[in-house]
Amino acid sequence: MKPERAQLEDVLRSLAPAARYADIRHTATHQQHVKVRNGEVDHLSSTVDRAIGVRVLVGNGWGFAASSDVSEESLRRTAARALEVAAASNVASTQPVTLSDIEPHVAKWESAYRIDPWSISIGQKIEHLMNATEPMRGDARIHQVSGEISCYRQEKTFASTAGSFLEQTTTQMGGGIEAVAIDGDEFQRRTYPNPFGGDFQAEGWEFIERLDMPRKALEVRDEALALLAAPKAPAGRFDLIVGSAQLALQVHESCGHPTELDRAMGLEISLAGGSFLQPAMLGTFRYGSDLVNIVADATIAGSIGSFAFDDDGVPAQRFHLIENGMFVDYLTGRDTAPFIGRASNGTVRAESAARIPIIRMTNINLEPGDTPLADIIASTKRGIFVETNKSWSIDDLRLNFQFGCEVAYEIENGRLGRMLRNPLYTGNTPDFWRSCDAIGDRASWQVWGLPNCGKGDPMQTMRVAHGAPAARFRNVEMG
Amino acid sequence: MSAILERALEAANAEADASYISVDQNITRFANSQIIQNMSEESAWLTLRVIVDGAMGVATTTVFDDEEIARTADLAREAAQHSNPIQGFKGLYRDNEPVPRVESFDARTAAVAPLEKARALRDMFDRATQLQFAGSYSTGSATVECGNTHGVRRSAQMTHADATVIAIGGSGSGYATARERSCDGVAIAALGEEAALKATLASDRLEDLEPGAYDVILEPPALAEVFDWMNMIAFTGQSFEDGSSFFVGNLGKRVLAENFTLVDDAIEYMPFPFDIEGLPKRRVALIENGVIRTPVLDQAWADRLGLAPTANAWHLGAPDHGAAFHLVMAGGDSTREEMIRSTKLGIWVTRFNYVNGLLEPKSALMTGTTRDGTFLVRDGEVVARLPNLRWTQSMVEAFSNIDAISRERRSVGTWYNMFGGTLAPVVKIRGWNITGKQEQSA
Repeated sequence: MKPERAQLEDVLRSLAPAARYADIRHTATHQQHVKVRNGEVDHLSSTVDRAIGVRVLVGNGWGFAASSDVSEESLRRTAARALEVAAASNVASTQPVTLSDIEPHVAKWESAYRIDPWSISIGQKIEHLMNATEPMRGDARIHQVSGEISCYRQEKTFASTAGSFLEQTTTQMGGGIEAVAIDGDEFQRRTYPNPFGGDFQAEGWEFIERLDMPRKALEVRDEALALLAAPKAPAGRFDLIVGSAQLALQVHESCGHPTELDRAMGLEISLAGGSFLQPAMLGTFRYGSDLVNIVADATIAGSIGSFAFDDDGVPAQRFHLIENGMFVDYLTGRDTAPFIGRASNGTVRAESAARIPIIRMTNINLEPGDTPLADIIASTKRGIFVETNKSWSIDDLRLNFQFGCEVAYEIENGRLGRMLRNPLYTGNTPDFWRSCDAIGDRASWQVWGLPNCGKGDPMQTMRVAHGAPAARFRNVEMG
Repeated sequence: MSAILERALEAANAEADASYISVDQNITRFANSQIIQNMSEESAWLTLRVIVDGAMGVATTTVFDDEEIARTADLAREAAQHSNPIQGFKGLYRDNEPVPRVESFDARTAAVAPLEKARALRDMFDRATQLQFAGSYSTGSATVECGNTHGVRRSAQMTHADATVIAIGGSGSGYATARERSCDGVAIAALGEEAALKATLASDRLEDLEPGAYDVILEPPALAEVFDWMNMIAFTGQSFEDGSSFFVGNLGKRVLAENFTLVDDAIEYMPFPFDIEGLPKRRVALIENGVIRTPVLDQAWADRLGLAPTANAWHLGAPDHGAAFHLVMAGGDSTREEMIRSTKLGIWVTRFNYVNGLLEPKSALMTGTTRDGTFLVRDGEVVARLPNLRWTQSMVEAFSNIDAISRERRSVGTWYNMFGGTLAPVVKIRGWNITGKQEQSA
């Protein structure tokens, strides 16, 4: 069912006379999703998606064609279609397309896991989720409890006219629980370890065991109930301590996306938007305080943003985007990096072979500082601590943002105080990061998997991750 | 009807339904007045749902040989065996009523060549070289088949043409969009002109605005994005069941403005004859003259909630348990120009960006920003361009404060919805809360 290397190379040879460059990908994507809700199995599905995709550069025109029929006949038909599409693009593409240099690679890579997600029966997965959710039921105000486990495996083959032949397989798991409490018009949701399916790692069942959702169930329930009666988080300006999980999403929205070079070049402006970080600002623009170091690192073992080669065939890399507060690099691909006079740093990926590879985040991490979280809290006279994302919104240049969190706590004279509900904070990206005056140490640093980053047309959801500690930001607007 | 669907239903060896969808979609993306991505995709997938003792399991595949279909049936059956019976579920659709006769397919749209689209875009680029154009132009066709073990069989073809154009000038941008069943309804040159007009309007007059409550005039793309979120947090069977929707406790009650009517209507708008469970499509009022009528439901959740079926399943076993893919807001008797003339101080909004509706779902509190054409209206005239503004607003409140609705409506596509879109007018709403703005830092 998977095309042989000789087949792929034969098709690439047939494209070579007309194309400046061509590549072929094949993916087989396996997913299983189990969700329980209020003591019932709410959703149980298995999906297998196979696809081939052919990308061709003719003159200055890109063409791409894909099919779910992965037969040899379909592969040749798809390749011919890609050529036709590329020739059409060339009619309305007058700016030269330059590809950064690449070495040919032949390699095989697999992400590691100890317990195969598919070796655990559906019955065991349901039982685990029931054990994690049933203890949360009982109080009449708990309207809904739910838990879910997701399994994901993608096998990918890549061959290009640059001479590369790459086989990569990633295996990932995710899981989480939530409790919804309702009292009159008050609606509160509390989750563990994160909302929207929980946390995700490139591991096997051992990750679900490590999450130990059953152990956290009563804590989640109690916090959902407590939020019903908690005072509303105040409006005004406060020193804000952002917990690791929420800060991971802050990094995603306010650093990850604006450092995508395709956005900065205007290539994604119609849908996702542009970027306030323009190439002329490289090396000179102060993005954050001296404490702020943000790296892109596609090499972290066990993270869902990791791989060995991107979908241009460029090796995975680790590099700074923000170094000591200064904006120093973008996420790039082979056809965008020359725009800033650099070589690709290997961040081009597609959701599957049926989609065009575009610049995507890998693991975009705020590096840990050297201050224990307890010391950050202790040194805050009057502030708010927020944790776990509830809502997110940011403008088309990634400047003005607003985040809502599941929970907040008052900080008075260095101590955590009352729980607060419905906290919202807002700001301007560089002003916010420049106000960062304390970054948590490695003890509060964690890599969070985010499997649903949306970008492109048609929309592609990409699996990315963010390492983040807790950190403090001065004089942030809330409410 | 394809043999694939029949083989799948046979392999289920139990009560079951299945859908087989094949698509041919062609998307040309452009930016900086260049084609930057151009794709053609032919894909097909089979989804099989098996019912065992009132419980359901779902499996999907893109490979259709006998061995893979048998494996898919095994997976779906295994899932059903581990699931619980759905309370009140009376089984899959049996009535097999006739479906409405609608025109959902246009042969010319299905056959538009990449070269034809490229030439149309090149013409648009060349007509206004002082501007930069970005956007996408998509055409495609699909064959949708579904059926079940009770003898229901449905098949229909559909096409779509969808374009968005952003024009970028020296001091601002403009936007225009269209979505229709036929490419004849999507004129690239006209969209380019509309976007260009917005990009250059009041380009020499820039003003600022302090946070506060203002009258807003919202164009159809702005409304459509709000409706996308209301679809998720308020209209679905799941949001009704879990209590997060403001529909809960309000069925039959007037909660919103009397001039606000919102229906799901696949008969008149982006026509399609049935939902994926095989139920005939019909006009379903969600909100009628401000009165909350019903959430949209799949068959199982209609049974579970004891509500009338609405024929709104679009993916077998989807956890939303119903979605409105053909949203139509009733038009009024006004025009955009009349709304501007009647406004003392307000904001004319082309489009929203990155709306989020999860802040406080019971009041449909949302936030987002404006983009691609935000204008200050003072004393009945458009007097200046504004920066992109952040707003934070309860939609329950907003749709209780509708001052005017235009007669003319526009069709807007959504990224998650291959079947339909949103048909919306221009509306004028009182007291929309502006909470911030886009500011570049030095």
